[in-house]
Amino acid sequence: MTTTRQREADILSTARATEFTPMAETPRYGGAKASIDPDRSKTWLRRALPIMSAHKGIFITSLVLSFVGLVLQVQIPELLNKAITNSLEAHTVSLSVYVWWILALGLVGGVAGYISRLFLFKTAYGIEYDLRTLIYEHLTKMSFSFYDRVQSGQLISRANSDIRSVQMYMTFAPLILVQCSIAVVAFCYMLSISVPLALVAMVTMPFVFLVGVKMRKTMFPVSWIIQARLADVATIVDENVNGVRVVRSFAAEDDQLNSLAKAATRLQWSYIKDADLRAKWSPVIQNLPQLGLALVLLFGGYMVIQGSLGIGAILAFNAYLLMLQAPFMMLGMLIMMGQRAAASAERIYEIMDEQPTITERPGAVDLLECRGQVDFNHVDFAYGEDGPLVLEDFDLHMAPGETVALVGRTGSGKSTVARLLARFYDTTAGTLAIDGHDVRDLTLDSLRANVGIVLDEAFLFSVSVADNIAYGRPDAERADIEAAARAAGAHGFISELSEGYDTVVGERGYTLSGGQRQRIAIARTLLVNPPILVLDDATSAIDVQVEQQIHGALRVLMEGRTTLIVAHRLSTIALSDRVVLLDSGRIVADGTHAELLASSPLYGEVLAQVEDEAVLEEEEEEEGLH
Amino acid sequence: MAWGGGGMGGGGGGPIMGGNAAGRGAGLPFGGIPSELQDGVDTLLADEPVHPDPDLAFSQRSSDQERKRLTLTRLLTEYPRTLIWASILVVVISIVAQLGPKLTEIAINDGMSPGHKSMLVVAVVAVVYLVAVLVTSVSQRAQVRATGRLAAWVMNDLRVKVFTHLQRLSLDFFTEEKAGVLMSRMTSDIENLQQLLQDGLWQFAIQGLTMVVITVILFLTNVRLAFITVVLILPVLILISLWFRRSSERGYDRVRDGIANVLADLSESLHGVRIVTAHNRQRHNIVHHRNVVGEYRDANNYTAQINAVYGPGTQLIGVLGQAALLAIGGNMVLHHQLSLGALVAFFLYLNRFFQPIQLLVQQYNTYQQGQASVAKLRQLLDTEPSVMESADAVELGNIRGAISFDHVDFGYDPAVPVLEDVNLRIAPGETVAFVGPTGAGKSTMAKLVTRFYDPTSGRVLIDGFDLREVTLHSLRRQLGVVPQEPFLFAGTVGDNISFARPDATTAEIEEAVVAVGLTEVIERLGDGLDTVVHERGQSLSSGERQLIALARAFLAHPRVLVLDEATSNLDLQSETKIEAALDVLLENRTAVLIAHRLSTAMRADRIVVVDEGRIVEIGSHAELVAAGGRYAEMYATWERQADLEGHRAITR
Repeated sequence: MTTTRQREADILSTARATEFTPMAETPRYGGAKASIDPDRSKTWLRRALPIMSAHKGIFITSLVLSFVGLVLQVQIPELLNKAITNSLEAHTVSLSVYVWWILALGLVGGVAGYISRLFLFKTAYGIEYDLRTLIYEHLTKMSFSFYDRVQSGQLISRANSDIRSVQMYMTFAPLILVQCSIAVVAFCYMLSISVPLALVAMVTMPFVFLVGVKMRKTMFPVSWIIQARLADVATIVDENVNGVRVVRSFAAEDDQLNSLAKAATRLQWSYIKDADLRAKWSPVIQNLPQLGLALVLLFGGYMVIQGSLGIGAILAFNAYLLMLQAPFMMLGMLIMMGQRAAASAERIYEIMDEQPTITERPGAVDLLECRGQVDFNHVDFAYGEDGPLVLEDFDLHMAPGETVALVGRTGSGKSTVARLLARFYDTTAGTLAIDGHDVRDLTLDSLRANVGIVLDEAFLFSVSVADNIAYGRPDAERADIEAAARAAGAHGFISELSEGYDTVVGERGYTLSGGQRQRIAIARTLLVNPPILVLDDATSAIDVQVEQQIHGALRVLMEGRTTLIVAHRLSTIALSDRVVLLDSGRIVADGTHAELLASSPLYGEVLAQVEDEAVLEEEEEEEGLH
Repeated sequence: MAWGGGGMGGGGGGPIMGGNAAGRGAGLPFGGIPSELQDGVDTLLADEPVHPDPDLAFSQRSSDQERKRLTLTRLLTEYPRTLIWASILVVVISIVAQLGPKLTEIAINDGMSPGHKSMLVVAVVAVVYLVAVLVTSVSQRAQVRATGRLAAWVMNDLRVKVFTHLQRLSLDFFTEEKAGVLMSRMTSDIENLQQLLQDGLWQFAIQGLTMVVITVILFLTNVRLAFITVVLILPVLILISLWFRRSSERGYDRVRDGIANVLADLSESLHGVRIVTAHNRQRHNIVHHRNVVGEYRDANNYTAQINAVYGPGTQLIGVLGQAALLAIGGNMVLHHQLSLGALVAFFLYLNRFFQPIQLLVQQYNTYQQGQASVAKLRQLLDTEPSVMESADAVELGNIRGAISFDHVDFGYDPAVPVLEDVNLRIAPGETVAFVGPTGAGKSTMAKLVTRFYDPTSGRVLIDGFDLREVTLHSLRRQLGVVPQEPFLFAGTVGDNISFARPDATTAEIEEAVVAVGLTEVIERLGDGLDTVVHERGQSLSSGERQLIALARAFLAHPRVLVLDEATSNLDLQSETKIEAALDVLLENRTAVLIAHRLSTAMRADRIVVVDEGRIVEIGSHAELVAAGGRYAEMYATWERQADLEGHRAITR
């Protein structure tokens, strides 16, 4: 934490050619209080111990108060017992003594209960906060190779349900243990009143526990099946809503109806199974303590008639048994929760134990006043350790200010070159240098601040258009944002949006067309104003006329910048000084467009796809969709 | 590490859905069974019988039975015998379960009190107590089984009913904003109702009755003390419970919003991770995420406050009640106005008062949600489709494929006409391309052919039949539509191709594959035709998806084909393939092409130029170019463009 802050301060204090990401948002919450023990040989609970001990103050207070509250609660049935025996049967003590005692105990117990619960919940949510921020911060450090392997849906589910189940166990397990310890106290009280009756009363309790365990063992799987089958039904509905045209136009309503009915039948079965299992177990659990009460009445009654027990004891035993029911049921839950939490923790640690592959070398230097000299020296590259080579002996040198177009078939390795330049991956062999510095010797921040890349996926975030454009420079002025949008040919359609630059877009906002998204993505990179610019197939979804306008603006902007363009279209190639033709990861030709056209038959072939590209209209939008 | 292919726990999504019915989207959205549940799930599924294949017939028109107004009462009374049985059990449970304290009182007063000591009484009462516990258990078991079944049956019927209605609704209903609403009707609304019917309503009834039973017993035991107990405890308890419900609802709203924001932020950060890295936003995003998670924690802490007050608060009320009861009741015992046994019974019943009130308050929520869901579902079911099959619609026999537009006017909103006085005759086997600017009405004309909409005035005819006079099924069975964005369903590639004809043989599917030139693609896929399509086919290229859509249309053997040309950029290879596939597909069929590229339009027998809802030119490519009208202009622009591009590029 301190090191990061220090670095930020350093960055801000040194006068720099390029700006770094400033903080546009005030931090209102601090970081996690502790992290997970990195020692993988420890058990999951011990690895989580640092986080728990970071919250130990309120946590221990909560447990102690909870114990106090329960001890007070246990006194009350005993007081009632004594009140009946001493005041109502024997008339030895005034009734009001007991009434006041009960009132006092109740009040103190209530306060203790309030504080202990509040602290317990706070501990739980504090731990959850720590885990969530830790995982998030860890994920931001991970390299692209990690995200190539992992499905983000899985990560989200881990971050969601797994954190919950670990947090629940870490906080509620100790509480349940405290409550069970109170069972011991209550049992002692019962023993002190009458040993044989205490044994009779408790006879059903182990069964409450056992049945509870057994019940959960079958109930969890059945609810999982229900969830999975609900998801099946939802999938069918989703497809029939989103694919309604296909269903209707092929008159497939009958088949779809039957496949839904089938999924619904399977769901129905699982609901009935669930009901049957609940019917089997829950009445047993609910009524076992009642059985104990009936036994207490029988044996206790006998003892009262014998004269060895007061009537008040019957009442006290009743109260104790009801008090004990919950801890015994929860003890069963604890075991199940422990199993789930262990499995969840393993899944969380799996993420936390992943190390980023692209890291800064100790002593890495900042790239200052970048001129834009780029040298790929005999670079080999493969995704993954034993993947096939995507680039082989790739040797490319770009002078400052030069614009180079990379051309090649799909899969020839063009995008990979672009990604290496921003050090999203490291080369397998050979080096990549910027201004003569090996990129691995540079700080990641300064490198990426100097290399602006427009990726082929034009992902927008669910914030306003302006914030999306200012993504790399959150403090940018509105005028700069608009200028960047103009250059990217996006100002026109943005102005026509209902709220202009303040319209929220992205997954949770207004849906833009592919071409519009790409234009915003270009504006986003242009705003950063980097000395090295990489356009990775950045205009593929923009139609030809608009592209022409953007190119006009780009040509001006590219003056004095080193630019690498991954291109499919002839018009894009026209922006470049030099064309490099890639085939299966190797450079097969290098020269001007005219030279390549004359010398390389492959070049002509690759370009052929451009021929038929006069699109008659912009993104076709269904004319009547309202 | 086991990241790949969605198998994060256990054996992936396979085993659970295995066995008799490997349903679509098996187990999604779950990556797999959590390993700790695997055994339990396997055991349960081993018992699952083979469900017979449903054989429902879809009809465009709803029956009178289906038209009845949807109400909670109607849902409940669909299975009257189960309902009556469940109601009897509810009454039995409410009474028998509350006998314990009364029996204890009898045992104390008539078996243990000085002067009334009798082991016989105690023994008899204890046995009665045991029997009561047994009866309660058995009744509870029977009740859960009965209500569980009732809920499962009723909800199954309702799912099928709502889905059937969805299939009837016209296309204008399925706009993007309504898609989410439709989904939640079929999922969360029905699940709310399921909860209510399975558990909520019965708990509500049992707890309500229990309160009545206890109150009655207390009053029968001692009117004065009962009155004091009820007046002292009930109002306070109800008030605090109501407060709790209101504030916890507010709290949980905050928590729900909080977690939604946390997950949305996480999801965006993950999906946009490459952009985040490229723009050096990590530190900023960490701050933002901390703020979002922090707000979520604050919301949680707020609910913690409420819970921390409510739990110990009710407990405190209980203790205060006990103290009051001891003071008042104890004095009554001392003054011989109350028996000791009755006082004990009061104490025991006092404890039993609390749970029902708390549960009642909780269940009231479920009840309200359930009622709201019923209202929403009723609204959906009451929506009439705008394209209706007429009562005396006839089966359309095998058609030749002559299409005509006869003075057709149309507007999605009748006030805003999209098509005006369109007249067009398409001969059987002819290929006609519609060209024109965005919004001209090309796609609308195609939608009228498939009868997704009806003309506002005028007629659309196939082989001389007005589309409104034939059954939808017999019409669409003979049409094939390839949309601009090919839509793939969860399931295998083979299932997707045989979508229109699920009974097609493998040989027929393969024939379609070969015909559209999909062979290479299929060979490359791991399991050939059995390869499962994930996430709507995101793992396939758009060209490949388009080819699958074409194979699907080919296998359907339609007489008329409506094809919305894809504009997305396909690479050269895919494009050549798709063009070849089209040649096969269009052979001997009437075809309507919505052309976005002139090169496609040029291949058609005739080109129809549409502008502002009217047909402005009709003719072959050569004729239209010669005529020098709108089309000729478009063609000239296109040629100039291609020239210009080539020229500039070459002179650099």
